[in-house]
Amino acid sequence: MAVKLGYKNVHRDPLGVPAWEASGRKLCTECATLKRPAAGPLAGPLTGWTLVWTLLGVFAGGMALNLTPCVYPIIPITVSYFGGYCGAAKGRLLGHGLLYVAGLAVANTALGVMAALTGSLMGSLLQNPLVLVAVAGVLVAFAASLFGLWELRLPSSLTQAASRPYAGYFGSLFMGLTLGVVAAPCIGPFVLGLLTWVASLGSVWLGFLVFFTLSLGLGLPLFFLALFCGSLEKLPRSGEWMLWVRRLMGWVLLGMAAYFIRPLLPETVRVFLLAGVALAAAIHLGWLDRTTAAFRGFPWVKTAAALVGVVIATLLIGTWVLKGPGVTWQPYSDQALARAQAAQKPVIIDFYATWCAPCRELDEITFHYPELVKLLNREFVAVKVDLTQKGNPLYERLVQQYGVKGVPTVVFLDKTGRERADSRLVDYLPPEKLLPHLVVLSKE
Amino acid sequence: MTRKGTLFLALAVAALTLGVLWHLHRLPVVKEATMAEVQAEAARGGYRLIGTEELAKICQQPPPGFLLVDTRQAWEYQSGYIEGAVNFPMEPTWWCRWRSETPLAKLLGPDKSRLVVFY
Repeated sequence: MAVKLGYKNVHRDPLGVPAWEASGRKLCTECATLKRPAAGPLAGPLTGWTLVWTLLGVFAGGMALNLTPCVYPIIPITVSYFGGYCGAAKGRLLGHGLLYVAGLAVANTALGVMAALTGSLMGSLLQNPLVLVAVAGVLVAFAASLFGLWELRLPSSLTQAASRPYAGYFGSLFMGLTLGVVAAPCIGPFVLGLLTWVASLGSVWLGFLVFFTLSLGLGLPLFFLALFCGSLEKLPRSGEWMLWVRRLMGWVLLGMAAYFIRPLLPETVRVFLLAGVALAAAIHLGWLDRTTAAFRGFPWVKTAAALVGVVIATLLIGTWVLKGPGVTWQPYSDQALARAQAAQKPVIIDFYATWCAPCRELDEITFHYPELVKLLNREFVAVKVDLTQKGNPLYERLVQQYGVKGVPTVVFLDKTGRERADSRLVDYLPPEKLLPHLVVLSKE
Repeated sequence: MTRKGTLFLALAVAALTLGVLWHLHRLPVVKEATMAEVQAEAARGGYRLIGTEELAKICQQPPPGFLLVDTRQAWEYQSGYIEGAVNFPMEPTWWCRWRSETPLAKLLGPDKSRLVVFY
């Protein structure tokens, strides 16, 4: 190729590195140690401007949450509830709107305070099978409502209470509270990162503040919706295509439900469930749905939605089909380690939990990379320690022994059984980055 | 857009996705060749072959403009390379050749008569 480009003095050494090494010459290695990933989110006290900026960011995030399909089912309820106040004076309407948002905020803030109180427990709690099933249940219920199978409606007692002057204020607060509780499981997964962050801060006051700000951002658009209830009725009817949008949102929620119960399912079912939802959504939204709209672009929007669904399904199934065999792990035992030492093999110990996302990523991408799998299976003894459930005395001892602070933690032992402290892994690392270190380790 | 049209479009998009996926998942091609094949290829390509000892001699006293290029994958390079080599991952596929022509020209620079060794 270089010759084609016009270079005249081109040579090739066809034997390359193996022959170079065999002749007793040395090779260069640039990176014998793994670069330590930066420490996780700063778990120090937040003060001053940092706090203000963080809260502003959280507020913006809360507003963005309104774009998620979770909030969508709440909107018609809000509108119909405040529809009852339309004739009222602006001041009264404002009061009701504020109380409504306050109720919503209290419900969501409870979540944040709980996270701060329980500490790191929250992460594992949110992966508890019962909680996952409950979250998925709420999502499916919302989706069914969006499909028009049932209508989220206010109990008539509430609407009646709202018409009385003082009970009304309480009613608005209560209303917000109820909706907050109903929507929390749906919003929770979106703010999972925020929850674990608050939990790591360990301060109840900060947990309160962060989630209160989040709810204010979340409630702001609803608040305006409440204020302008009268003019909302005058808006032109959005037409039949809105039904299609509702169905689209419904499918997104169903997809989320399938996504959240993933850890409970065996891998094959997981893949086909998600792909099935995507494909069903594509067929429903793109072909079966007969909705038409007055504007020209609508058929294209429908086609695009269908194509997105098809692509997602293909990606899921394709990745699964093309994925080669993984690393052969064995559960941890002292004997396995002793055998490795006797055979002069380095050891890789993977501390993981089923609920941890980077662990899954490591397993599905890095530990399925063909070259890496080949090397690990040939030169290493690969051991896994499942920390999903607490209480295994052997594993507790290992956590102590290796000073494991969280999952994932991947520990490397050299041929003599000593840990390579310089090459510990505490986060996802792509296979191309991990491979050189493994090669170096296996050659030592 | 007719429904049939949409269907064809969907199938085409699905096929395209699969193609891209396959491309991303495929293994780097490694050719195992005999010495005779390597020599024939060198004659066709118009470059000369060089042995380990000879290369080592050049490396010890590199002439001005000497460039050593490691054409293996990045991770192979990082796990040990001959001193002074730069990494330029290449595979013996037409797709890769076509894609890396310009970057290679940039790497080799304007001096067309410099001594270049690939391995």
